Amino acid sequence: MPALWIKGVSFSYPAGFALGDINLEIPEQSFLALIGPNGSGKSTLLRLMSGLLRPDCGEIYLDDRSVGEIGRRELAGQVAVISSEQFFEFPFPVAEIVAMGRFPHLGNFQKMTDQDWKAVEEALRMTNTEHLRTRPISQLSSGERQRVLIARAIAQQPSILMLDEPNAHLDINHEIGIFHLLQFLNREHGMTVIVVLHDLTAAAAFCRSVALLHQGRLIKHGSPEEVITSEMIRRTYGADVVVHPSPVGGFPQISYAPK
Amino acid sequence: MSSRVYGLTALFLVTILAASISLFIGPVRGAPWAIIWQIRLPRVLLALLVGFALAGAGAVFQGVLRNPLADPFILGTSGAAAAGVMTAGILSFRNYSALYLMSLGFALLSIFVVYRIARVNGKTPIQTIILAGVIVSLFCNAAVFVFFSIFYRESFTMLFYLLGTLTEGNPALIAISGTIICAGLFVTWLFSRELNALTQGEETAFHLGVSVETTKKVLFVAASAMVAAAVSVAGMIGFVGLIVPHMMRMLVGPDHRVLIPASALGGAVFLIVADALARTVLPPLEIPVGALTALVGSPYFVYLLHQKQKVGEF
Repeated sequence: MPALWIKGVSFSYPAGFALGDINLEIPEQSFLALIGPNGSGKSTLLRLMSGLLRPDCGEIYLDDRSVGEIGRRELAGQVAVISSEQFFEFPFPVAEIVAMGRFPHLGNFQKMTDQDWKAVEEALRMTNTEHLRTRPISQLSSGERQRVLIARAIAQQPSILMLDEPNAHLDINHEIGIFHLLQFLNREHGMTVIVVLHDLTAAAAFCRSVALLHQGRLIKHGSPEEVITSEMIRRTYGADVVVHPSPVGGFPQISYAPK
Repeated sequence: MSSRVYGLTALFLVTILAASISLFIGPVRGAPWAIIWQIRLPRVLLALLVGFALAGAGAVFQGVLRNPLADPFILGTSGAAAAGVMTAGILSFRNYSALYLMSLGFALLSIFVVYRIARVNGKTPIQTIILAGVIVSLFCNAAVFVFFSIFYRESFTMLFYLLGTLTEGNPALIAISGTIICAGLFVTWLFSRELNALTQGEETAFHLGVSVETTKKVLFVAASAMVAAAVSVAGMIGFVGLIVPHMMRMLVGPDHRVLIPASALGGAVFLIVADALARTVLPPLEIPVGALTALVGSPYFVYLLHQKQKVGEF
C-alpha cells in the first residue's frame, strides 16, 4: 500500500486548466521531488495532495481513505505542510510557533500537556533551533525561519511532510542544511517527504525519486537518473543543458553552456 | 505562563483604579453622591464596556486580516453600525432588538464588503484595507447626511452621537450592550488558539488542522457584534481598536489567549481616561470623546505606518 496514491486526478482553476489525468503512487518513506517549468502544475498537485484543493475528478488516497473525507485535525496529524505562503507580521516567539504544531493533537480548548511540550522540545532539538526558542520569529533570518517552520511540522508528528520550495531565497549553506535535515527525517524517522523544487541540481542530489510535470501532465516518474536527462529538460523546459554524472555521487548534474 | 497571569492581574487592578478615580473627576467638583452614582457610575461603566468592545474587536480584526493596523473605525465597521442605528431611529423602531439587529446587520454587511474589496491573493494589505474602509465609510456618511437633511431638527443630537460620546444613561441599553460585548469577547477568546494559527496565513492554519472558514466567520460575527453593541450606545469612537492592541502586543506579546483579555482591559483604561479628559479639559464644556481619540489616534496611525514602511513591510 503506498503512503499516498493519486488515481486519475484532474483539476481546473476557474481561470483555466491546471492538471489532467495524474496517476502517481508514492510509497512509504519516499523522498520525492516534484519538478517542472513554471505553470506546469507542481504546486497545484501539492495542494491537491495536501487536501487544500479537491480534484475535479479522480481520487487521492492516504492509506486507504480519500484525503477529502479525512477530518481537518486528523489530516493535520498525518500530513504536515510548509506552504510558500508565509507571514511573519506577528512577533510570536519561536517556541510558540513550534507549539502551534500541536494544534491537531489537542482537543477543543484543551491545554498543552507535558507530552506536548516534550514534542516541541524534541522538534527544536532536531532542527537545531533550541537557542532561538525565545526569539520572535519576525527577527530571524530566512534560513532560521525555514528551520523553525520545519520544527513546527515535526511537532505535528506527521507521517508525510510536504514542502513548497523550501530552498527559496536561501543561501547555499542554509539550503544544504535544510536538505540534510529533510534527508535525516526521511531516513532516520521514516517520514515520507514530498518537495516542490525549481532547483534541479538539488532535486537530483537529495531526492530519491523525481516526478516531472509539463503543461499539467505527469511526463515521467522515476529515479533522478531516469528523469533528469538533457533530452527531458529540452522537451519540457525548452532549455539546452548538459547533464553529466556528479563528481560527488554519480547523480545527474546540470551544466549550463555560455553563449 | 505565570508572568502573563501577573500582567493580566496588574492590568485588571489598573482598570479598577482608573474607574474608581474617574468617578470623582468631572465639571462638578465635590459632587454629591447622587451625581456620582446616577451619572458618573453608568458613564464609567459604559466607558469600560465600550473600551472592551473596541479594543477586543481591534485585536481580532488585526489577527484575522493579518494586519496590525486594522481597526473597527478604519475598516468602516463603526460607521456602518452607526448608520444602522440611525436607520433604526428614523424608521422609529421603538424596541431595542430592532436597534441592535440593524446596527449588527449593517456592521456585518460592511465587514463582508470590506473583506471582499481588501483581499488580494489571500492577503489583506493595509492599502486596500484603508481604501475599502474609506469607501464604506463614505457610503455610510452619505446615508447619514441624507438623514440629516430629512430630519434636520434632530441633526445636532445625531451629530453629537456620531462623534462618539459616553452620555447614554439608559440602564437597559447599557445592560444589553454589556451582555453582547462580554459574550462576544468570551467567544473570540475561546477561538484564540485558532486565531493564533490564522496569523500565520490561512493555508498554514488549514494545514495545522484549523477549520479556516468557520473560524473566520465566528470571529468576524463576534467582533462585529461587539462593535455594533458599542456603537449602539456610544456612537463612533475611533482608533481605540488600533492603539490599544498595538501597545498590548508590545506589553504581553502576540498570543491572543492573553492579548484579547489584555486589549479589553487596556481599552477600558484608555477610554475611561480619555472620557475623564473629555469632560474636564474645557470646563464647563464637554468634548465628544470620539473627537479626542481621533485627535490622538490619527497621528499614532501615521507614526505606525511610517515605522512599517521604514522596516520595508507592506
